[in-house]
Amino acid sequence: MSGMIHADAADGGWAVATHGLVKRYGRETALDGVDLRVPEGAVYVLVGANGAGKSTTLKVLMNLERPDGGSATVLGLDTGADGARVRAQTGYVPERHDVGYRWMTCARLIRHVAAYYPSWDSAYAERMVRAFGLPPGRRVGGLSKGEARRLQLVLALAHRPPLLLLDEPTDGLDPVIRNRALSLLAEHLADSPATVVVSTHHVHEMESLADHVGVLDGGRLVAQMPRDELQRTVRRYRVQVPEGWQAPPELRAAGAVRQRAGREVQWTLVGEEGELTQRLSTAGAQVREVTPLTLEAAALAFLPDEGSR
Amino acid sequence: MMQTALHPTPRPASVLREQLRALGLALRAPAAAAAVLAAAMALLITLGIVEEGHRIDFYPELSMLPAIAGFLLPLAVWWGEDRFGPGFLWTLPVDRRRHALTRVCAGWMWLMAGVLCFVLWLLALALLTGGNLVGDQTVRVLPAAMTNVPMALDPAALRTVRWTPDPLLWLVPFTGATGTYLLASALALGVRHPLRWVTGVVLGFFLALGAIEGTKSLGLLKGATRVLNAVFSGPYGIDALLTARTESLHTVATLTSGQTVEVWHALPHTGQWAAATLLWAAAGLAALWAAASRHGERRRG
Repeated sequence: MSGMIHADAADGGWAVATHGLVKRYGRETALDGVDLRVPEGAVYVLVGANGAGKSTTLKVLMNLERPDGGSATVLGLDTGADGARVRAQTGYVPERHDVGYRWMTCARLIRHVAAYYPSWDSAYAERMVRAFGLPPGRRVGGLSKGEARRLQLVLALAHRPPLLLLDEPTDGLDPVIRNRALSLLAEHLADSPATVVVSTHHVHEMESLADHVGVLDGGRLVAQMPRDELQRTVRRYRVQVPEGWQAPPELRAAGAVRQRAGREVQWTLVGEEGELTQRLSTAGAQVREVTPLTLEAAALAFLPDEGSR
Repeated sequence: MMQTALHPTPRPASVLREQLRALGLALRAPAAAAAVLAAAMALLITLGIVEEGHRIDFYPELSMLPAIAGFLLPLAVWWGEDRFGPGFLWTLPVDRRRHALTRVCAGWMWLMAGVLCFVLWLLALALLTGGNLVGDQTVRVLPAAMTNVPMALDPAALRTVRWTPDPLLWLVPFTGATGTYLLASALALGVRHPLRWVTGVVLGFFLALGAIEGTKSLGLLKGATRVLNAVFSGPYGIDALLTARTESLHTVATLTSGQTVEVWHALPHTGQWAAATLLWAAAGLAALWAAASRHGERRRG
C-alpha cells in the first residue's frame, strides 16, 4: 500500500520533528530516513512490527542512541546538541523493564530521580505510588515486570514533563492495572497538558487518547497523519467484480486485497471514499459496501503482511 | 515558536549531592567489609601487643592499600551501569560527559573519606601500641655511585643517617589512591570490558617480556629493563606516586660480616614525589576526559 506522510509544515509547530533520521546497527538499518512530525499537544501513536524502528526512534529522541544521519528536534531543542535539556522536558518509559538500580528500594529510586528534576511533584508521585499499589520499601531488583513498569510510569509522569515518550507503556501490566494506568495517563494529560509519543503493539488501548498515527515498517515511516484523516481515508470496500477481472494498477497501489471469495473481493483502500468508489466503478467493479475501520485496523493496513490478511 | 515553557535542568551541585548519596548507599557493603577486616586486624594486633609486646610505627607513605582501593573502587562505582548502552544514568537530564565526571568525582570524595579513615586507623594503632608517630628512623645509605649492591657489602661504605619523613608525605596515601582511581576510572569509562583489558595488558606484558628474552638480544633486554624501571621505580614512576619511592629506594644487603641489613640507595625526595604525583594525575585526568568524552552527547567514536 502506498504511504501517506504529512510533514509539510514549518518546524516551529512541531513538538517533535525528525529530518531524514538514519540509524544503523552494523549492516542492519533500523531507521531509514524517518521524518516524524508530532504536533504540540498531540497524542501520537507509533505503530509497527517488532524491529520496525519504534524503540530506536524514541531512543534517538532521548539521545540515548546517536543517529548515523539526519537530525531531530524536541520542543525546538536539537537532541544531539541539547540532550540534557531535551531529557529535562521528557518523561520516558523505556522498552526494557529494568529500572534504575536493582539494589535501591522503590522509594529511594523515586527520591534519586526526583533530585534531577526541579519540577518534581512529590505529592503527585506519592499519589501514583498508592494508585499503582507499588511497595515503596521493596528493592527494585525484586519487582515483577508489571511493578517495574508501574514504577517507570511514576518516574516518567511525576515531573509533569511537556513531552512523554512511552515505549510499550502497558507491556507487562495485568488488565486491571492496565486500565488504571490508561485512566491515570488520561487524567495526567487533563491536568498537565503534554505531547505524547506512544510506541505500542496494542493500538486499541490508545483508541480513546490517540489523535495522530505514524506507521513504521522496516525502518521507514510509511504513513503519518491525524487520526480522523486516517479513519476517513482508510476503509474497507466490499466489491463485486466480473469473472476474470483484474484490478487496474492505480487501485492495486492504493490498497491491498484482504479477502477474495468468488466474484466478491474485500479490499482495504487508502483515499477519499467518493473518488475510490468512482474509480472502482470505472474499472468495472460494483461497490457493495464501504465500512470504516478501527484505529488499529486502519493503522495496520499500511503494513504489508497485515494489509493483505 | 513553541508555546511550552521549558523545564530547567538540575543544578550541578544537586547532581553531585545526589550522586554522593547514591554512591554512599551503593558502597555500604564494601565499606562494611573493610570495617570488619580493619576490626579483625586491630584485634590481631592487640593480641600481638599483649603476648609479644609488638609496636606499630606510623609510616603513611608505605601503605599500598589506599592505592589498591583506588584502583578497585571504579568497579564498584560503575557496577551494573549500562555505560555503552541506553543506561539509566544517561536517561537523566544532565550532559552525559558531565554526568559521568560528576559520578567519578563523587566516587573520589568517598575514596578520600575512606583513605582518611584508614590513615586515622593507622595513627590510632600507632598511638595505642606506643609506636613511632613521626616515622623517623636511622637508615644506612649506599654511596651515590653504587648502583648495584655487591654480594658482600663493606659496612664502612655505608653512611648512617637519621631520617625524618617530610610531613608532606602524609599526603601520599591520598595522592596515590587518587592517581590509581583516576586511571582505573578512565579504564572503566573508556572501554566496554575493563577487566579483559587489564588481563590482556598483563598477559601482553609478560608475553612481550618473554619474547624479548627469547631473542637473547642484550641491547633489547637492556632497553626493556630501562623502560620498565622508568615506569615502575624511576624518579617519576608508579612507585614514586604510590609510596614516594620508599619501596624502590631500599633493599636488603649482606655485609662482609655475614649480617643482613636494610640499605637505601637514596632518601625519598619530596620534590620528586610531588612531580610524579602531578605527572600521573595529569595523565589520569587526560585519560578520564577522553574516556568520558566517549559518552558525550555528540558521538565521538
